[in-house]
Amino acid sequence: MNRSELIIQIIALATLIIACVLVWILTTEVFHVEGDILSVPMDLDSESDLIDRLYRMIPLLCVAMLLSIAFAFYIEEWLSETTWYYRIINQHISILANIPSLIYGILVVCIFLFQVGKFSNFTLVLAIVFLVVPVTIQTTQSAIRGVDLSVREAAYALGANRWQVITDHVFPRAFPKITGGVFTVISRVLAIAVLLIIVCELRTSIIQDVGSYEISSNVFVLISLALLSCVLSSFLQK
Amino acid sequence: METNNHSIETKNLNLWYGDFQALMDVSVNIPAGKITALIGPSGCGKTTLLRCFNRVNERYGNVTTKGEIKILGKNIYDPDVSLLELRKTVGMVFQRPNPLPISVYENILFGLRIHSPFGSLTRNQADEIVEEALTSVFLWDDLKDKLKVRATSLQLEQQQKLCIARLLPLKPQIILMDEPCSALDAKGTLAVEELMGILAGKYTFLIVTHNMAQARRVSTECIYMFLGELIEHRETQALFETPDHPKTADYVQMRYG
Ligand SMILES: Nc1ncnc2c1ncn2[C@@H]1O[C@H](COP(=O)(O)OP(=O)(O)O)[C@@H](O)[C@H]1O
Ligand SMILES: [Mg+2]
Repeated sequence: MNRSELIIQIIALATLIIACVLVWILTTEVFHVEGDILSVPMDLDSESDLIDRLYRMIPLLCVAMLLSIAFAFYIEEWLSETTWYYRIINQHISILANIPSLIYGILVVCIFLFQVGKFSNFTLVLAIVFLVVPVTIQTTQSAIRGVDLSVREAAYALGANRWQVITDHVFPRAFPKITGGVFTVISRVLAIAVLLIIVCELRTSIIQDVGSYEISSNVFVLISLALLSCVLSSFLQK
Repeated sequence: METNNHSIETKNLNLWYGDFQALMDVSVNIPAGKITALIGPSGCGKTTLLRCFNRVNERYGNVTTKGEIKILGKNIYDPDVSLLELRKTVGMVFQRPNPLPISVYENILFGLRIHSPFGSLTRNQADEIVEEALTSVFLWDDLKDKLKVRATSLQLEQQQKLCIARLLPLKPQIILMDEPCSALDAKGTLAVEELMGILAGKYTFLIVTHNMAQARRVSTECIYMFLGELIEHRETQALFETPDHPKTADYVQMRYG
């Protein structure tokens, strides 16, 4: 790892942390204090409300995936690999995509469900975006890179322009891998949905007094460690 | 300069990938309607030189090219040169057969569709063009019942011939080939070589190969390159039998001696 590589990674990490803090403030402070702008109080009596809302996330899920795929094509086909913004974007994606989906799930459950006391749509949207976008971008990128260089060159050599190369060659060849990635993402989302539902059921049946529930500091320590190890793994994979 | 006899002329062509100079002062004239072979050890710039001629090198961001390249007497770096037209005139065949993952029929028409306005090709014209192209490469009898088959499922030899056939509807003048037989077996290699022999005259061929026996079999003229420099360019037989330059002699005899 050379020095410019290190600088890129530090910048990527720093901007990510800042972004996370901003998101944190936005969700816990702004939306909590302002009340029900985007949030609807949880119906404690049934999980069907949650399931219903999860179903309503499906269009969002599809849009997020399509946009991620489009974005992956944009950064792979239009940005030059040597530019600093390409490298920083890549670093962000690789850090975020390496975080196990369970962590997002736990964060959603612990912080938003118990701490905030409300299970807002905003939280769900945020969770889905974090769960879906980085992994979809990453798998699409690797699918695009997996398309044999000689195939592109054949198309360029026949006089095709960039759009024709993408639509006629790169996309069809990358398509199986892209769908593979989409399914990985779907499984991540499903796993989290299951987690949320179970927790919701548990809460309804066991915890009566929501306000008195305290998250143990161990949970935060473990999550921090897991995050750290994700960051490390993304560093080491370079 | 007798541009009539030379399809490609370069003068003091230099090329850098970033700081690394891959071509040094290459000046070469490629005769029209003949097969010219480009030989040399791996990494000496054969592919790089070949790719200059249809300007596909430019796709890499860090390439700098200096010097003059004339194709059919026209400088290809003139501002009025259209990349589309250039690539129509100068076809390219690659190391690994790379038909598109679509039908044989559509593979043949792909280039033409790019170069002609949408819908301007009637079904009858298209059928004729496909038959003519496949006939020229002796694939028609084998494939006439398989036109709807995905081209990537053909045998490698057929795929490579198809890659040659798909250039022909564009009426190219020059066909560049980068180690076109290295993925093929002996029979496929001979078949492609035979095809080149038959098509030469109609087209100018420039073929990169590191198979010297192949260079000897197919080419009229032969160019030996070493570390980005053009060392020797002569008639093939002369280059192999009485090389002028000691480096050429080393290379030619190392493999033959
Ligand atoms: N896209 C590229 N970027 C940087 N260096 C390259 C690139 N392509 C080729 N080179 C370098 O240029 C030299 C010539 O390569 P090439 O033309 O592929 O040789 P050959 O085809 O004779 O084996 C090699 O040293 C290779 O490493
Ligand atoms: Mg090569």
